[in-house]
Amino acid sequence: MSYIEELVSSLGREKVLTDPSELFVYGADWSPRTPEEFRPPDVVVLPRTTKDVQRIIKIAFEHEVPVTAGGGLTGMLGGAVPLFGGIYIDTTTMNSVVEVDQRNQTVRVQAGATLQEVNDAVNPYDLWLPHQPESKWVSTVGSAIACDNDSTFGVRYGKILGCLLSAEIVTGTGEIIELGHRKAHFTSSGYKLKDLLAGSEGTLGIITEATLKLEPIPATRRVDMLVFPRMGAAVDYLNRLLKAGLCIEAAHINCKRRLKFYTHSYVQKFGKEPEIPAWAEALLAIAFAGDPEVVELQRAHALRVAKEFEAQLVEEREIVDAWWASKYTLEFEPFKQKWPDSQKQKKFGAADPGVPVGRLEEFYHKFIQVAEKNNLEIIGMNAYLEHPNSIGFSLSCAVFVDYRNPDEVKRFRAFHDELSRLAVSFEGTMSTFMSDTYQKAPYLDLEHGPSLRYMRDVKRLFDPKGILNPGKKFRKEERG
Amino acid sequence: MKALEEFKDELETCFGTSCGFCERGCPVYQTMKVKTLSMKGRNRTMLGLIQGRFEITPAVVQAAFECTLCGNCDRWCALKNTEHTRAFREYLLRHGVEPMKEHSSIASSIRNYGNPWFQPRSARARWTRGLDIPKAAPGQQDVLFFAGCTSAVNKPLNRGLVAGARLLQKAGIKFATMAQDEPCCGSTLLRIGQKHAYESLADENVKKFEGLGVTKILTTCPGCYTTLKKSLEERGSKIQVQHLSQEIAGLIKDGKIGVKRSHEKLTYHDPCHLGRLGGVFDEPREILKAVADLVEMPNNRYESKCCGAGAGLQSAFPKLSKDLAAKRVAEAKSTGASAIVTSCPFCETQLKTVPGTKVLDLFELLLDSVGEKNSNSNGRNTPK
Repeated sequence: MSYIEELVSSLGREKVLTDPSELFVYGADWSPRTPEEFRPPDVVVLPRTTKDVQRIIKIAFEHEVPVTAGGGLTGMLGGAVPLFGGIYIDTTTMNSVVEVDQRNQTVRVQAGATLQEVNDAVNPYDLWLPHQPESKWVSTVGSAIACDNDSTFGVRYGKILGCLLSAEIVTGTGEIIELGHRKAHFTSSGYKLKDLLAGSEGTLGIITEATLKLEPIPATRRVDMLVFPRMGAAVDYLNRLLKAGLCIEAAHINCKRRLKFYTHSYVQKFGKEPEIPAWAEALLAIAFAGDPEVVELQRAHALRVAKEFEAQLVEEREIVDAWWASKYTLEFEPFKQKWPDSQKQKKFGAADPGVPVGRLEEFYHKFIQVAEKNNLEIIGMNAYLEHPNSIGFSLSCAVFVDYRNPDEVKRFRAFHDELSRLAVSFEGTMSTFMSDTYQKAPYLDLEHGPSLRYMRDVKRLFDPKGILNPGKKFRKEERG
Repeated sequence: MKALEEFKDELETCFGTSCGFCERGCPVYQTMKVKTLSMKGRNRTMLGLIQGRFEITPAVVQAAFECTLCGNCDRWCALKNTEHTRAFREYLLRHGVEPMKEHSSIASSIRNYGNPWFQPRSARARWTRGLDIPKAAPGQQDVLFFAGCTSAVNKPLNRGLVAGARLLQKAGIKFATMAQDEPCCGSTLLRIGQKHAYESLADENVKKFEGLGVTKILTTCPGCYTTLKKSLEERGSKIQVQHLSQEIAGLIKDGKIGVKRSHEKLTYHDPCHLGRLGGVFDEPREILKAVADLVEMPNNRYESKCCGAGAGLQSAFPKLSKDLAAKRVAEAKSTGASAIVTSCPFCETQLKTVPGTKVLDLFELLLDSVGEKNSNSNGRNTPK
């Protein structure tokens, strides 16, 4: 019996898709890949339970078939595309909320629940999951963990790992194990295997359930935008606010070019680009949240301090609101959503390096140079503060890419790789929100050196036959 | 109307973007959880098809037709996705796919009887008995009351039409109907991919309306509302089309219809064709709020969820269609409202299929609340 026949026999016909048209739907995400590179999976499975996933993995293990799991398929670097065909597990069919524990402020969900579905479920309890990427309507809990994507509110709450208390996975042998510390917020016991899941890209196991820490919903939020003469000045300003003891909820530094990408609704409304002072090179969007009087106090202090950094408040609220809608509320005018209107000709492509806090300005200029050298249309750079109450940021260095043009895709990859390598030479990291995928696999040792061998050993322990998302993090032939 | 091949750029844009924001509000995807049935997936299927990556298979046909064309995906997108899906259906029929048997019988009924319900043409005027409404004749009236097939030939739905007509009469509005000569608007043909049948029907219809010399068409059916508007606008006609709620809301505001208000809690279900696709949200609510307390469902206006009746889903995929109705009714019940008010014969019939559900037609509800002081008009039509 073929492995697909076994899947049908084990799961039932309705959970297995094999028609070429159905497979085509599951083979691509948001990453720039040419039509020639497109390789659909050989079979798509729609599990409903962890046991279903276990059945799938056991069959795949037996037949040594590649297994790639995915959620919303909004990844920007191909993390969930099945490079070598095989089985694609659509986890979005597993989207139940298992338990909301109001007293202990936790939620247990199946990993295919979108971040928005989680928040819809916990909102009546006056709680929320603050891990909020722009893709929250579609990005699933499992994908957020496996990709370790970014969050609008990272500077107050951190990323998904900061919310993750425990996770159930099915390993590459089909074993079901729980990693983590139940509902306790932290532990000093054992090795923190749960933390390995953040950015694991489905290479260690398929995440099937997760227990997440929730936070009380703040009563109010004020979002402002300030312009600075340099990106570095915005970094210094944020550091000063942290020194002052302010609790910042969101902080995003945008280069001037990048603002345009986030003010789509402003352009729709007024028919023109927003006007920013000619001297301004950086825009900082900053939010405070909590009780109104606390928010006002913090905001007033932040605005007072801003004068020491040659900053100027953006008074035109529509600019701020357009940016915030694009980043968080997603309240676009009906029929005029930013996506995909902003990508009619070319799609968004990015490198996601991280550099030490004092070298942002320097790296920004490198980004422009490398993009220009590769003849790519520049969207711009964002620095998102992603670490609780600290200045650490992720970088999104974005360009437009015509995925139908093989030469442009090649130039995009050269751009991405050069920035990744540069980040390491800047004493930083290659990835801060997209993970490694196949793109960084060829030169992962550049960042990790001899420790890469330990990573391979960890991979072998969880996935001895190398069937889980092969080609990601490690080249396929290396077998982890 | 554009053919599928002409949407290639839009399909590539969707493929390139992959945001999937359409998935959250799609009633079919959220029920079935198969990406081929989400708009993002359907756009991919269309692209793969016209790129020749695969042949037409039953799964392709299912992806095309298992959709209510409710337009929820369009609300979250800059692309005209429901137009893609309509073109997808037309493409499949053009490439030799036999219409689904349920859809082909609808098309043959429209051809033979002038309605999709296999009812004789004479049944179309039945609802007007005793109302003393004149039959439209060239140059004899400004306003045409267009009943629509579904309300006219299905007896339980006649009451909404009667109520609508009586409200107009009470306010002294003069109007005529086409009685048994009223044609089908072609809405169903348009949505099941029968482009040519729709186009020729629309040509004939516009000629008929122009021949009558009417300046305004009023209809209680949201499907007729969007379809007649499209047909007339595309053919350069100046005839205005309004949903009856738009006219009636104005009459209440002008004091031409007096209403006795209660404090009953009622919720309003936006029909997709009237609300999201037709842009009429406020007037039905103004009418409802004039007679009772309105409590909104969590998904309302642009975010309203489809009842599951539209675009041939009810006939071809009855189980899914019923599931969607049950979801919408559950949402309505969560508001604590005693009944669902709607203004579409399809939505009314569909929501009523869920046991224990009270569904009221907007115009019936209003007529029940109208005071006798408004009964002074004889409502007779006076020819020009």
